[in-house]
Amino acid sequence: MSYVIDGQAGSSHLLMGNEAIVRGALEGGISVATGYPGTPSSEIIELLAGVAKERNLYVEWSVNEKVGLEVAAAASFAGLRSMCVMKQNGVNVASDFLLHLASSGTRGGMVLVSCDDPGALSSVNEGESRLFAKMVEIPLLEPGDFQEVKDLTKWAFELSEEIRNIVMIRSVTRMSHASGNVEYGSLPDGKAHANFDFHGPLLDQEKGPVISMLVSAAESQHGPQQEKLRKAAGIFETCPFNTYKGPERPELLIVTSSACNLYSREAIKALNLDKKVGILKLATTWSLPRNMVKGHLALTDKIMIVEEVLPTLEENIKVLAAEMASEIGIKTFYGKRSGHLPSIGEMNPDLVIGALSSIIGQKRPSIPVAFAERARRIIDEVVPKRAMTFCPGCPHRASYWSIHNAIEMDNRKGFVCGDIGCYTLGMLPCGFSTLKTVHSMGSGSGIAGGFGKLKQFGMDQPVVAVCGDSTFFHAAMPALANAVHQKSSFTLVILDNSGTAMTGFQAHPGIAANAMGEEMPALDIAAICRAMGARVEKVDPFDLEGTRRALNEIMEYGEGVTVLMMQQACALSPQRKGRKNYDMEIDEELCLGEKCGCNRICTRIFGCPGIVWNKEKGVSTIDELICVGCGVCADICPQGAIKRREAE
Amino acid sequence: MLKKGGPYELLSDVIESDLCIGCGACIDLCPYFKSYRGKTAMLFPCTSSEGKCFAYCPKIEVDLDELSLHYFEAPYNADPLGYYRSIHISKAGREMGGASFQAGGTVSAIMYYALKKGYLDGAVLTDSEGLLPLPCFVTQPEDVLRCSTSKYAAAPTLSALNRAIRDGYGRIGVVATPCQAQAMALMRVKGIEEKEDPNPVHLVVGLFCTWSLDFRALEDFMKERITTESIEKIDIPPPPAEIMKVYLTNGAKLEIPLDEIRELVPESCSYCYDMTAEFSDISVGVLEGRPDMNTLIIRTERGQRLIEEAIDEGYLIVDEIPEDALAHLTWAAGRKKKRALTKARDGGMINTIDEDKRSIVRLRTEILEKILVASQGCE
Repeated sequence: MSYVIDGQAGSSHLLMGNEAIVRGALEGGISVATGYPGTPSSEIIELLAGVAKERNLYVEWSVNEKVGLEVAAAASFAGLRSMCVMKQNGVNVASDFLLHLASSGTRGGMVLVSCDDPGALSSVNEGESRLFAKMVEIPLLEPGDFQEVKDLTKWAFELSEEIRNIVMIRSVTRMSHASGNVEYGSLPDGKAHANFDFHGPLLDQEKGPVISMLVSAAESQHGPQQEKLRKAAGIFETCPFNTYKGPERPELLIVTSSACNLYSREAIKALNLDKKVGILKLATTWSLPRNMVKGHLALTDKIMIVEEVLPTLEENIKVLAAEMASEIGIKTFYGKRSGHLPSIGEMNPDLVIGALSSIIGQKRPSIPVAFAERARRIIDEVVPKRAMTFCPGCPHRASYWSIHNAIEMDNRKGFVCGDIGCYTLGMLPCGFSTLKTVHSMGSGSGIAGGFGKLKQFGMDQPVVAVCGDSTFFHAAMPALANAVHQKSSFTLVILDNSGTAMTGFQAHPGIAANAMGEEMPALDIAAICRAMGARVEKVDPFDLEGTRRALNEIMEYGEGVTVLMMQQACALSPQRKGRKNYDMEIDEELCLGEKCGCNRICTRIFGCPGIVWNKEKGVSTIDELICVGCGVCADICPQGAIKRREAE
Repeated sequence: MLKKGGPYELLSDVIESDLCIGCGACIDLCPYFKSYRGKTAMLFPCTSSEGKCFAYCPKIEVDLDELSLHYFEAPYNADPLGYYRSIHISKAGREMGGASFQAGGTVSAIMYYALKKGYLDGAVLTDSEGLLPLPCFVTQPEDVLRCSTSKYAAAPTLSALNRAIRDGYGRIGVVATPCQAQAMALMRVKGIEEKEDPNPVHLVVGLFCTWSLDFRALEDFMKERITTESIEKIDIPPPPAEIMKVYLTNGAKLEIPLDEIRELVPESCSYCYDMTAEFSDISVGVLEGRPDMNTLIIRTERGQRLIEEAIDEGYLIVDEIPEDALAHLTWAAGRKKKRALTKARDGGMINTIDEDKRSIVRLRTEILEKILVASQGCE
């Protein structure tokens, strides 16, 4: 039995934020959960899928966040409680439907969970998901500690049913992936029953058809939508999750939410300011409860807003403050717009300490000079500089080797448009700096299709795009259809490693299993591409010469869209993990090392962590603990010094 | 003072300066330089400050005296034809009967004979697939005949030599263009380090060359006129024809004025001062006015011995070269040498002194002067 369901009401557990969301959703009586893998959100659907059978849930890894939100919405329309989970940029993908869903309203309690990644620790953007709540006019909740993560998630379903609209919960990396103590509530009994009622009148949100809006009749839906949000704000006025901690008359008031609540508490403690600075922790950050906020803004003239990335809360508070100025007085605000806190990167206690100490004039605790010096020296001299790289045995290293070399040999300044996945690392030296554009899911194919139409303007550079098997289904299919139909010329390399690897090897429509481990039909990517009218070829990326030659021939042909599938399972996939195809060994007599004729191509360029440079001997060696025995390096050694022998 | 360099200098001074002729000398010495469809590419940066790639390249830092002293035990002279023992006309003998050749079949006969008699263990030749020349390495005499037609696009033939040496072959014969022959002379002089056999090339048969063609440009040019799969053979007959003949598989023939073809000549060829492959054992070319014969220059003792034995056993027929043919050959070779060295001198690419400026060639000033002022009387 999973620990998320094994635990009495009242028992205390150390839970990751994502685990607390799962527990809260289960306590909230969820029936359906969907999502698309995205750090830092992925554990939520994984854990729910793990208890799906026991708790009678339907849990799905959807093809993308838009479809995931639509699937969860169907459950809500049928009277079930549902949840859709994604990372911050997933909300962008889901946003078209979200806009319309917020207008049509929901029935069974529905929650959208967005786990943001301030600082882009595992993203190629630092986007803001909070603004979507304001833009589509739905309530936004941000839990500020771990108990609250669970309690707020559970409560969100009740709130959603109260106002008959979707509620958004926003978490961040340091809530989702950090841990704290959580006391369990009880899990509900009872069976959920799905039925979609639509016989009522057209504009009856409860019993009629579910439509976002009548054409040319904005007020018919938009009015009720805004009324729902006002109702939520009314409920927020007395919501126990909004808390104040500090002196009755603080010198400075911090208004904060989410993980920044914890940073602010740490900062106050570090500076000993608990008698001077109070914290208004808001869990209901849209729409702001006006009177409650007013009551706290009135306590002092100095207000500091602590939040991640953009000054969203800051601007919303300032709007209220401006409106209430005649009642509460003019305030001095400190935050991102004043330059006291940055609008880039993750917030942390040190930044809050620095800002507080300069505003309040309190000396910050200093690091002893000798210690700081020693730490700096250790970092500079002792800590090895580690570049990001692919796992040993990763098919992408082999794929990029061949792609990069094919393009160099073709010698016409060809380039590759990149996409999102482990293979995004192709923009770094570990992928031989092959990628020349990187944006969002599926955008590599879209952009490449665009480049492939520029021949009439004299563009003669061969165009290549890369895309993973999961990315293909998520977003690349429409781009491919467009390119074929528009007669664009480019090569789409599909790096098929049999899973959504970057985020933890989740299933997708090309895999013969679903989130809950049940057998499912696997869609045939090659057949889909052919049906769209593209030429399709398949290679094994571990066959370096064959792969390189195939791509060179395709680039030479240069007309229309060709799909080149490079198929080889991820080194961490179930079919390959822990299994060695070959035992690898380097013959030190044959190894040229740094000499002319090689110059360490295996360790200096190819860069598999399983090959190590022995400085004293001037040769390369295999690190048997790291090498997974894929055998590819044997083909890159000009001397044939790397030997492979079939493993028993 | 001969300057040294590595792959970085090779890239900047030769490849990116439009001087690379794609001879293949730097290809397959290591994993970094590759040739594809006539173009040389550096796959990854090699950080060596000195390398064989730079040392063997015939288009950078070539000291002609150094090569000449090594090959002929005499410094470089201003003779348009280089050093030689004798010049003749020739063609394949009766033992080669039945085979089809471009002109006289002299090169095929020599290589066939050398392999058959065991003077060589292998031969580096140039095969082709349509217009695309393909370096190849053969060990059987019959395979020589497969490569018997002339290739007009520049070929990275020496890459096959590098691969053969790496695979442990010695006693190799190579049919080479003048630039390729010069690269092999550089290999011999500068050394192939740490190999058991410091001189695996036992025979160099050089080909006369006025210019070569860029493969990709040639392919594009032909594609505008015909489907290139239908090309059976290409021939540029000796002067005064001034045309390129393209024979198609359907029996048709295309004649293209050489002036149009000259547009496809790589920039690198305009700096080439060697028409008759001066650094070979034997040099072979066409014979003006006689499409069934070759001009044959014997330069070294080894070359002479081989020719004499081939004649004795009926593989080669050799005759006296007519005076006017020799005069015209000398004139043409002199003109090419003068033109190329004038251009190089005017471009400041000879005998440079600056730290960071490398020369394509170094030779004694008095020899250079002699060549530059040589009178080019009319035909």
